[in-house]
Amino acid sequence: MQDILVYIALVIAVTFLIKKFFFKSKSTKKGNCGSDCGC
Amino acid sequence: MSDGKVVKVALIGNPNTGKTSLFNRLTGLKQKVGNYPGITVEKKQGFCKLNETVKAEITDLPGTYSINPTSLDETLVLDTLLNEENETFPDVIVVVVDVENIKRNLLLFTQLKDLKIPTILVINMVDQMKRKGINIDVPKFEERLHTKVVLASARKKIGVEELKSAILNYKELDTTPVSKISTKIDKDFFTKLKSALPEFPLYKSWLLITQNQEFDFLTDTQKKLVTKFREDVVCIRRYQHKETIFRYKVINDILKDSFNVDASKATNLRGILDRILTHKIFGYVIFALILLFIFQGIFNWASYPMDIIDGAFADLSAWTKSVMAPGTFTNLIAEGILPGIGGIIIFIPQIAILFTFISILEETGYMSRVVFLMDKIMRKFGMSGKSVIPLISGTACAIPAIMAARNINNWKERLITILVVPFTTCSARLPVYAILIALVIPNKPILGFLNLQGLTMMVMYLIGFTAAIASSMLLHKVLKVESKSFFVIEMPNYKIPSIKNIFYEVVEKTKAFIFGAGKIILALSIVLWFLASNGPAKFKNAEATIKAQTENTSISKEVFQKKVASYKLEHSYIGYMGKTIEPVIAPMGYDWKIGIAIISSFAAREVFVGALATIYNVDSDDGDNATIKQRMAAEINPKTGESMFNFSTGVSLLLFYAFAMQCVGTLAIVKRETNSWKWPILQLVGMGILAYISAAAAYLILS
Repeated sequence: MQDILVYIALVIAVTFLIKKFFFKSKSTKKGNCGSDCGC
Repeated sequence: MSDGKVVKVALIGNPNTGKTSLFNRLTGLKQKVGNYPGITVEKKQGFCKLNETVKAEITDLPGTYSINPTSLDETLVLDTLLNEENETFPDVIVVVVDVENIKRNLLLFTQLKDLKIPTILVINMVDQMKRKGINIDVPKFEERLHTKVVLASARKKIGVEELKSAILNYKELDTTPVSKISTKIDKDFFTKLKSALPEFPLYKSWLLITQNQEFDFLTDTQKKLVTKFREDVVCIRRYQHKETIFRYKVINDILKDSFNVDASKATNLRGILDRILTHKIFGYVIFALILLFIFQGIFNWASYPMDIIDGAFADLSAWTKSVMAPGTFTNLIAEGILPGIGGIIIFIPQIAILFTFISILEETGYMSRVVFLMDKIMRKFGMSGKSVIPLISGTACAIPAIMAARNINNWKERLITILVVPFTTCSARLPVYAILIALVIPNKPILGFLNLQGLTMMVMYLIGFTAAIASSMLLHKVLKVESKSFFVIEMPNYKIPSIKNIFYEVVEKTKAFIFGAGKIILALSIVLWFLASNGPAKFKNAEATIKAQTENTSISKEVFQKKVASYKLEHSYIGYMGKTIEPVIAPMGYDWKIGIAIISSFAAREVFVGALATIYNVDSDDGDNATIKQRMAAEINPKTGESMFNFSTGVSLLLFYAFAMQCVGTLAIVKRETNSWKWPILQLVGMGILAYISAAAAYLILS
């Protein structure tokens, strides 16, 4: 039982980290640069 | 009276008018801080009860001098007020002005009033009126401005109830424009504009055609009309200048009738203080002494609550093991999660003390003097005077500091600021510095009143700041910044700091630190514990292997258990990962366990302490209630037989964390702000090389 709980915790943790660092929410506006930023 | 349940209020004003103090006064702790959709500008909202059935949803918009935006923050004010479909479009605008800068502050008010949205004028800091010899004829003011005027002092809680009542009755407010610009600038032009876009108030149409941005809420026909009006750029610029001149004429007329200052009654304490605090010698000496005091405070005062928290988490781990059924999940909680979380909670006292001091400096108005003072230095190194704000904000976190660089108009100066800000010692470095300094720097007095550890902490802040300045100088030459910009900063009046404002600021910043990093640390603690507590065949056969190795020797049960724990960790998944990178980090004096903590803390620097706490906890045999510091101090380098965290390794780690770009969040925000991966990669590689070389050199010299 304890092993199952550990694996559940691990899956939740890994999913959270992947979502946090690899699947950022997309922005609805392009960039944040001013008119003179040259980008 | 309002018949709705929620009145949407937009709080608008020039910077330094006490807008945020008023927001705090109205909403208390009923605040939420988020981001505007799609962009990273902070959005502060809060709720305020107006009566038994009606409450106000208050949005604290970024400070702006005019409705014509010059930066992204200011663009938000315009976007909020022009788009009626916007979820924060207000039922009523509350414009906050400073009683001592009323003429300049009223420019924004007259622009907002012309949008025909119900508007209330709050004249803030009225507690200063008597001392400054200021008199206001409020009824005349209300008559000339066609609005409700509330005299308030957010700090002294004056006028807050009157403001709430005015918000509640916003439907009774007069929406007549203050300045009829159409007749004063070019009647024919504005008549054409009115007939082209009859569905909008005239001033809104004028704003639509004078901005260089697209407005998504307009229909295709409206967009075409707006584009057509924008064609004659020279004419529009000329009319904008005329508009500003005309508005100031109107403001002057109004003030002449209803506002006067008796200069003989005013005191000039501000002038005397300014001369001392921005003096070319005393100014820097005072600033250095204040910094020294802050860092002494961080170390001396925070040590007591930190020891209590550290001990409490160690006891909690031991207690968890004693009450829960033995097994892997119990071990995960006691050895993984609790030490990991303890590694972040322990630094609440230091973070809170740092932000208390920073808030006091901001609240008193001293921070603006520091910006002015440091501008003289910044210019010599190719940065704008405005770069000081991001650099000082960077002591909290590089992410908002990089966003604060939006105030810098010149793109190359802004880029340099963005690139060097991560060198500033942020709050995430504080836990790392704090534990390393406590381990390797003796806690002894210097000159009778200074503490060596506090002094070292100050040196670390100075190293970060020096690295930022030196890199700026280098980038200035490489990037060849040729264009010039001007430095203009408003010096707010000196004020007695509001305890309430400081409290809210400290709570908000500490919460952001704990919850922002806390979730990542919790998740990483679980992963690290799993990787350190599991492994391939050799890990599983640890007991048998050690038994075979010690068959002919007589060792105690404790020594045997210690050998098994070490063997297991070395042959765990994390052990193999650490061993793989060990040759690369060995020149800096680190073993594979520190290597694992460095890799883990790439997500966020403060993870370093939590990661080491988790790794050493799995490895330990010295009971479950040892503190993080005790575990780190007890770690022995198997090659030298000395403490792993000795002076040379400690200094090497301090320098590594001073220079390395160990923050995924910062890289992401740099990418977002520069719209390119080129700059964050340059930062990552450049700072990484500097960190590696300086850490390796320090280890080589000191060991």
